[in-house]
Amino acid sequence: MKALFLSILLLSLTACATERQRHLPELTAIGDARRATACESIFPRGHWQFAHAIDFSMQDGSGGTVIGVTSLSEDEIACALMTIEGLTLFEAVSKKGEGLEVRRAVAPFNKPAFAEGLMADVRAIFLPPAAINIRHGWLDNNVPVCRYTGIDGRTTDILPATDDCWQIKTYTSELVMDRSIVGYSCQKKENSLIPEHLELKGFTNSGYTLKMTLIHAENLTRKTLP
Amino acid sequence: MKLFFLLLSFSFFLPVQVTAGEIPDQATIRLRSVQADFLQEKHLKILARPIISTGTFTFQSPQSLRWEYRKPIPSILLMHAGKVKKFVERDGQLAEDTRMQLDSMQVVLSEISNWVDGRFTDNKMFKVSFPKKQTVLLTPKEQGLAALISSIELKLANQNGLLDEVTIFEGPDSFTRLTFTNRVLNREIPAALFTER
Repeated sequence: MKALFLSILLLSLTACATERQRHLPELTAIGDARRATACESIFPRGHWQFAHAIDFSMQDGSGGTVIGVTSLSEDEIACALMTIEGLTLFEAVSKKGEGLEVRRAVAPFNKPAFAEGLMADVRAIFLPPAAINIRHGWLDNNVPVCRYTGIDGRTTDILPATDDCWQIKTYTSELVMDRSIVGYSCQKKENSLIPEHLELKGFTNSGYTLKMTLIHAENLTRKTLP
Repeated sequence: MKLFFLLLSFSFFLPVQVTAGEIPDQATIRLRSVQADFLQEKHLKILARPIISTGTFTFQSPQSLRWEYRKPIPSILLMHAGKVKKFVERDGQLAEDTRMQLDSMQVVLSEISNWVDGRFTDNKMFKVSFPKKQTVLLTPKEQGLAALISSIELKLANQNGLLDEVTIFEGPDSFTRLTFTNRVLNREIPAALFTER
C-alpha cells in the first residue's frame, strides 16, 4: 500500500511538473537588438528547397517514415509528403494573399485538419512568426530568448542558441505550449542555420512527434536550374 | 496505403515475359530469379530537382522479394512464404516497422504471378495497351485507383523481354521513374536474403 501511495504521488508530481513546463515561462527582458538578428537568422532567407526523411509517430502508436519536401520563396510556401517508394501522399501550396491549395491528399492524409496542421508546422519551422510585439530577454535558466506575440494572442519563443542549434516553442492564446521544435547539429549555410536533425512535438489532442533528418538543403535564389 | 504496395509490385517485373502476339519479336525467357540495381527519380511540380533514390531489387519465383533502398532512407521490404516485413532506418539503425499496414501485400502477391507469366491482358486492375513496339501502357480501370495513378509505362529492353524502365504517372507534373541496371537473371539466391535484413 505504501509503495502504491508513493507511486501515485510520484506520478502526480511528474504530471504537475510536465504541466508547468508547458506553460509560457517568465522572461527577463533586455533591449538588445542583436538578439533579434540572432533569432531571425535561424530562418532561411530567399528561395530554398529542403528534403527531409520524416519519421512520424502518433499518440495512438501509428506512424511511419516518409520523405518531406518543402519549397520556400518570397511569396509561396509549398510542401509535399511521399513514401520512400515515391508515391505522393500529400502536396499543398500556400501563396501570399491566397488560401491554401491542396493539390493531392491520399488517405490518411486527406483530412482538412491535417493540411492546416501540416502547413502550420512547416511555417513554424521555416518562417519567422508574424508578430505585433517582439521582446528579447532571458529565461530562468539563463537561456536567451526572443518572444513574438501574434495578433491572435499566440506566442512563439525562439531560443537561438541552445546547445549546438536552436529551439522554437509555440503557445496558444491561453499560454499553453502546443508545439516544441528542437534543432540538432546546426550548420551555417549561406547566412542560415540549417539543422541536420529536427524533432517536432505537437501537444494537441492528437499528440504526435516528427523526427526529421535532412536529406538536402538547397538555396535556389540565384541559381538557374537546368 | 494499399496502393503503395500495389505500386511496389509493378517494379517486381523486371523480366517481362510477353504473351505471344502482343509484342512481336520479343524473345521470352523462363524466369526463376532476378537481381538488379535501380535508380528512382521522383518528379513533382514543386521540386526544383527530382529526389533521387537508389537501391537493389531481388525477386525469386514464385513469391520471394527483397526490395532494398540504400539512399536517401535505408529501408528493406521482405516477402517470403506469404510473410511480409519492412525495415526502416530509425535513429541510425534498421528496425522493423510494424506501424504500417502490410496485409494488403498478400493481395498484391497474387497479381505478381500474373505479371511474371506475362499475362498482361488478364489484369483486373489495368487496361493494357502497346502504344510502341517496346512499350507497355497500363491504365487503371477502377476510379479509385485512377485518382491516384493516371498510367504506368513499362519500357522493355531490346532483348529477352527485360524491363529497362518503369514510370508511374500520378498526374501531368508528378511521376516516379525507376531505371534498372546490372540485371542478373536466374542466379541461385539463398532464402535468407528474403527473410533477414
